[in-house]
Amino acid sequence: MGIQKDRVRLNVGGKIFETTATTLAIAGRNSFFGAMFDEDWNLQPGSPTDHLIDRNPDCFAVLLDLLRTGELYIPSNIPEKLLYREALFYGLLDHVRSAKWGPFDGNRLRLSRSITGRAPGDGTAIRAGPDGGCCVAHGSMVHVYDWMLDEHPAINLDYQRVNDAGWIDSDSIVISACERVGRGDGGMGLFSASTGELRYKFNVTHDDQVKSYTAGALSFSSDDKIFSSCKGRSNEYGIGVWDQTTGKQIDFFYEPPAWSLGDADKLQWLHGTNCLLVATLFPRKDNCYISLLDFREKKMVWSWSDIGAPVFDEGLLDERRVRDAIAMEDTSSICVVNEYEDLGFMDLRSTGGSVRWSSRSRLMKGKMPDEPCYPKLALHEGQLFSSMNDSISVFCGPDWVLTSRLRRSYGGSICDFSIGGDRLFALHSEENVFDIWETPPPPIM
Amino acid sequence: MNSNSNNSNNQKKRNFQIEAFKHKVVVDPKYPEKTWKILEHAIQEIYNHNASGLSFEELYRNAYNMVLHKFGEKLYTGLVSSMTYHLKEMSKSIETAQGGLFLEELNRKWIDHNKALQMIRDILMYMDRTFIPGNHKTPVHELGLNLWRDNIVHSSKVQTRLLNTLLELILRERTGEVINRGLMRNIIKMLMDLGPLVYQEDFEKPFLEVSADFYRVESQKFIECCDCGDYLKKAERRLNEEIERVSHYLDGKSEAKITSVVEKEMIANHMLRLVHMENSGLVNMLLDDKYEDLGRMYNLFRRVPNGLSTIRDVMTSHLRDTGKQLVTDLERVKDPVEFVQCLLNERDKYDKVISLAFNIDKTFQNALNSSFEFFINLNPRSPEFISLFVDDKLRKGLKGVSEEDVEIVLDKVMMLFRYLHEKDVFEKYYKQHLAKRLLSGKTVSDDAERSLIVKLKTECGYQFTSKLEGMFTDMKTSQDTMQGFYTNHGAELGDSPTLVVQVLTTGSWPTQPTVTCNLPAEMSALCEKFRSYYLGTHTGRRLSWQTNMGTADLKATFGKGQKHELNVSTYQMCVLMLFNNADRLSYKEIEQATEIPSSDLKRCLQSLACVKGKNVLRKEPMSKDIGEEDAFFVNEKFTSKFYKVKIGTVVAQKESEPEKQETRQRVEEDRKPQIEAAIVRIMKSRRVLDHNNIITEVTKQLQSRFLANPGEIKKRIESLIERDFLERDNADRRLYRYLA
Repeated sequence: MGIQKDRVRLNVGGKIFETTATTLAIAGRNSFFGAMFDEDWNLQPGSPTDHLIDRNPDCFAVLLDLLRTGELYIPSNIPEKLLYREALFYGLLDHVRSAKWGPFDGNRLRLSRSITGRAPGDGTAIRAGPDGGCCVAHGSMVHVYDWMLDEHPAINLDYQRVNDAGWIDSDSIVISACERVGRGDGGMGLFSASTGELRYKFNVTHDDQVKSYTAGALSFSSDDKIFSSCKGRSNEYGIGVWDQTTGKQIDFFYEPPAWSLGDADKLQWLHGTNCLLVATLFPRKDNCYISLLDFREKKMVWSWSDIGAPVFDEGLLDERRVRDAIAMEDTSSICVVNEYEDLGFMDLRSTGGSVRWSSRSRLMKGKMPDEPCYPKLALHEGQLFSSMNDSISVFCGPDWVLTSRLRRSYGGSICDFSIGGDRLFALHSEENVFDIWETPPPPIM
Repeated sequence: MNSNSNNSNNQKKRNFQIEAFKHKVVVDPKYPEKTWKILEHAIQEIYNHNASGLSFEELYRNAYNMVLHKFGEKLYTGLVSSMTYHLKEMSKSIETAQGGLFLEELNRKWIDHNKALQMIRDILMYMDRTFIPGNHKTPVHELGLNLWRDNIVHSSKVQTRLLNTLLELILRERTGEVINRGLMRNIIKMLMDLGPLVYQEDFEKPFLEVSADFYRVESQKFIECCDCGDYLKKAERRLNEEIERVSHYLDGKSEAKITSVVEKEMIANHMLRLVHMENSGLVNMLLDDKYEDLGRMYNLFRRVPNGLSTIRDVMTSHLRDTGKQLVTDLERVKDPVEFVQCLLNERDKYDKVISLAFNIDKTFQNALNSSFEFFINLNPRSPEFISLFVDDKLRKGLKGVSEEDVEIVLDKVMMLFRYLHEKDVFEKYYKQHLAKRLLSGKTVSDDAERSLIVKLKTECGYQFTSKLEGMFTDMKTSQDTMQGFYTNHGAELGDSPTLVVQVLTTGSWPTQPTVTCNLPAEMSALCEKFRSYYLGTHTGRRLSWQTNMGTADLKATFGKGQKHELNVSTYQMCVLMLFNNADRLSYKEIEQATEIPSSDLKRCLQSLACVKGKNVLRKEPMSKDIGEEDAFFVNEKFTSKFYKVKIGTVVAQKESEPEKQETRQRVEEDRKPQIEAAIVRIMKSRRVLDHNNIITEVTKQLQSRFLANPGEIKKRIESLIERDFLERDNADRRLYRYLA
C-alpha cells in the first residue's frame, strides 16, 4: 500500500511521467510540487487520475532527473533559458543553479562562456557576486549580470567615473565614483542588483558638514562595515568607514603625513586580525605604500614603502616595482607582484622588512605585448591567482608552485578578474568581453 | 514566439516590412479580468471551506500567467481587497458571538484564516517569488497576518473586548476558577504570531498593569491579617502560579516581567514591614529555628533589589546584640567552659540556618563571621576562656569520644580562635595550660594535643607553635632520660622513693619564678643523684628544680591502720613528710622546715586540712582559713572509701585579678619586639614612608597575631628613632626614613 500511495502520474504537456511523491518532495515545500501535494489541496498522490500540468514536457524531463539524481544534464535541443524559465515556474531555480557547476577549484576550471558587452572604452573592474552573478564597471556605468548571465538594468552614480564596485549580498552592489566638484555628485552608493535602483547614498562628514568626495577602492568586513579610500576637497584624504545597515559614517582614518591612503588602489579587510590592508601603488603614485590599519586603536600597525629603496639602474627599479599586493592571513604574509609576474613575499609579523622575491623564471621580460596590463592578485581557499597579459596563473602549496594556467585565444590582455559564487570572472581590456570559468560538477564516481 | 512569427512574416512579405512592426500582439483585453475572476472565485471558495473542487495546477498557472504578462500589480491589489473583504465578513461573525463563545469563534476563524492563507500563498507562490521582491510589496503570508491584525484584532469592536475577555479570564483563574487554558494559549499564540509588538501592546502591557493593581490590593490585605510566615507562603504561591501561567499560555519572555511585578508588589513594597513584623518577623524566625520560613524568605527576597541585604542586616544586628549580651553576661563569665560552649552553640545554630535556609550564601557567612569577630573581642578575656575550654576538653571532656568527634570539636575551637584579635594572648594562656596538662600528665590524648598544634600551625605559622612543639619534645626526651637514669643507677637505689624528673628547656615553657623549697632528705639525695647523672651525660647545662610544679604519691597509714595512697603536690609532700617525725607542728615550724612561699603554703595546708573528705591533717583551731598561729596534727580518723586519694590544691583555675594583670603585662611586653621587627621589615623594603602608612602596614602584618595599638606603634617608632634605626625627614615631618 505504502508504495502504491507513493506513486504519482503526471501529464505534463501531454506526456505522461510516472514518479514518486518522495522524488517530488525533494523540491521542498516552497515549490510547485510541495504546494500541490500539501493535504489542503486534496491532491493525494496515488489518486487514480493523472495530474495535468500545462508545461513543456522536455524541460520537465530534465528537471525531474535533477530531482531524481541531483545532477543537471541539459540536452542540446533545449535552450538553457527555456529550462531556467521552467525551473522558475516550478520554483526549482535554486536547485538548477547549485547543480549547474561544481565547488570552486582553481586547478579544474573550464571556460564556461564569454560575454560581450556594449560599453565603450576600457573596463575598470569586474566583481563576482555571492551566487554566481557578476558586475562589470566600464567608465561611468556598471553592468550587472545574474548567475544565468542575463543582464539587468545598468547602474550609474550621477554618471560619474566608477572607481570600484563590490557585492554586499546577492542583491546589493556598492559602487564608488569620482565626485563632480561642488554638486555633491559621485561618491559612493548602494544599488539593487536586480532593478538597478539607487537605495542609499553614503556621505562623508567633516566637522558636521557633509562634503563631496571621490571614493576609491572598496572593502567590506564580516561585521557589516564598508571601507573606502576617500579624497575630499579640503584635504579629507584617508579611509572612510560606514555601517552597512544604517548607512551612517562611523569612522574616518585620516591620512598621516607623507603616506598615501586616499589614493589607495586596493583595500582588503583581514578577518583574523581585524585590520585593513591599504595599498597605494605605482603608477597612481611614484612610490608604493602598503600598510595595515587597526581602527580600534586608530593606529597603523604595519607598513612598508619602497621610498628610499636603493636604485642600481632603471631596469632593476621596474623589476622591484610592486603592482599589486594581497595579504594572506593563513601564512601571516603579504604577497606582492611586479610587472613581470614575479611574486614577492613580506612577513606581516614584523614591520620594516623587505620583499623576498621568488626567483621564478622571467619569461615575460622582453616579450611584453603592445598594450600590457599590470598583474592582479587574488586568493581563494589557499590558492593564489595572478593575472598577466592574457592568462591567469594558479599557485598552490606552501611554496606557491605554479599549478595551472588559464588562457583564452582572443580578447587580449586581462585587466581585472574576480572569484566568487564558485566562479572566476576575467575581464579583457582590448575587447569589451569577459569570460566565466567554472569547475565542472564532481565526477559520477 | 512573437519575434519568430515576425521573422517569418518578413520573409514572406518583404513589402510589408514596416507594417509588420505595427502589428503588436495584443493580449485579449479581458484576459486579466477573466483570470483574476477565476482566482478571486477560488479565494472565496477557500474561505468557504469549499476548496475540494479547485485545481491547484490551474490556479497556479493562472497566477503565474498574470505575473508573466505584467499584471502582477492587479493580482496583488486584487488579493488585498479580496482578503480584506473575507476578513471583514469574519469580523462580523466574531463580533456577534455571545459571551464566552467570543474567544472560541475568534480562535475558529483564526484557524480558518491560517489555512486559507496557506492555500492562497501556494497559488500565488510565483508572485511571491518574482513580483513581490522587485516591487516593494509585502509577501503573501505576512500580508495575510497584517490584514488579520488590522481588520480583526484592531477593529474597534474586537480590540477592547478581546483584551477585557483575556484579562477577565486571568482574573478568574487567579481567584481559583478553572478556565480553558488551551483556548487561551491559542489566542495568545495568535497575538504572538502577529508580531512581538502586537502581543506587547495589545496584551502584555495592560496585563502587567492589571496584575500590578491586583497584587497591590491583595498584598495589602494579606499584610494586615497574616503573620510573616503565612504571608511569605502566599507570596511564594502567587509567584509560582504566575510562572506556571506563563509556561501554559503566555510568551516565555513575559515570565521575567510578570514575576517582577509580583516581586515588586508583594515583596519589595513590604520588605521592611515583613522583616520586622512583630512576633513573626525575621528575628522570631531565627529564635525559633524556623528553617522553612527562613528559606522561603531568602528565596523570595533574593528576587528583589536590596532584599538579601535587608535580611543580612537584620540578622547581623540581632546576632551582634545577642552575642554582646552573651559575652558580657557576668553570670556566664564565671564559667569559661560554659561561656565558650555558648559561643559554639550560637555559631552552630547560625551555621545551620545558613546551610538549611540561606543557600550557603557566602555573604551571609561573611556577615556571621564579622559578627562573631565583633562580639568575641568585646570581652578581653575571650582568648583565656577559649584556651580554658580547650584545656577542659583535653583534660577530661574528650574522654571516650571518637577521633572524628575530637577533630570536630577542635575545628570549632579553631574557628573561634580565628575571630580573636589577640591571638598572642591566647598563645600565652595556651602555653600555660598546656604546660600544666603535660606536667600533671592530665592530657587525655596526645594525638588530640598534636592535632590542635598542627591546626594552630597552619593558621598562624611555624613561629606560633615552635615553643609548644618544644614542650612535647621535652616530655619525650625526659622519658628517655629517666629510663637511662634507672638503667644506670637502678641497682644502687634499692627501695628508695621512685623519682620522675621532667627536664624542661628554659624558654619553651611558661616562665616561673624558681622558688625552691626544702625537700625531705631522702628526696633531695635522690635529686642530687639525678643531677649528677644528667650533668654527666649533658655537659654545660644547668638544672634548677621547679618544686612548685611537681606531684608525689605517698603511702600513708592512719590511726586505726587504714592504709591509703595519697596523690599530692610536691609542696604537700614536703609538708606531710614532716609528720613522719612529729605529731604536732605549728604553721611557723612548717614554714621554717619547708621554706615554701607563704601564699603557696597556705593554699597547700588549706587543701590538706580544710577540705572535707580529704583532710588528712587536722588543724587547731578549726576554721576555713589558715592562720599563722595555727597548729596541725595528723588526722588519725581519716577515712575514705577509696584506696587512692587525690588531694587537690586549692587553686583558682581561672586567673585571679592580679595574675590577669601580670599576664597582660607580659603580653604587652612581648608585643614590643614584634612591633619593632615589623616596622624595621617594612621600612627596610620601603626606605621612606609616612606615618599613616606605617601604621596601616604594621597592623596588617601583625593581625594574624594581635591587633596592634596605634599608640603603641607610635611609641615603638619613637624608640627606633632614638636608637638610630629610623629618622624623621627634615622637610616633611610626617615622613620616616630607614637608616641602613
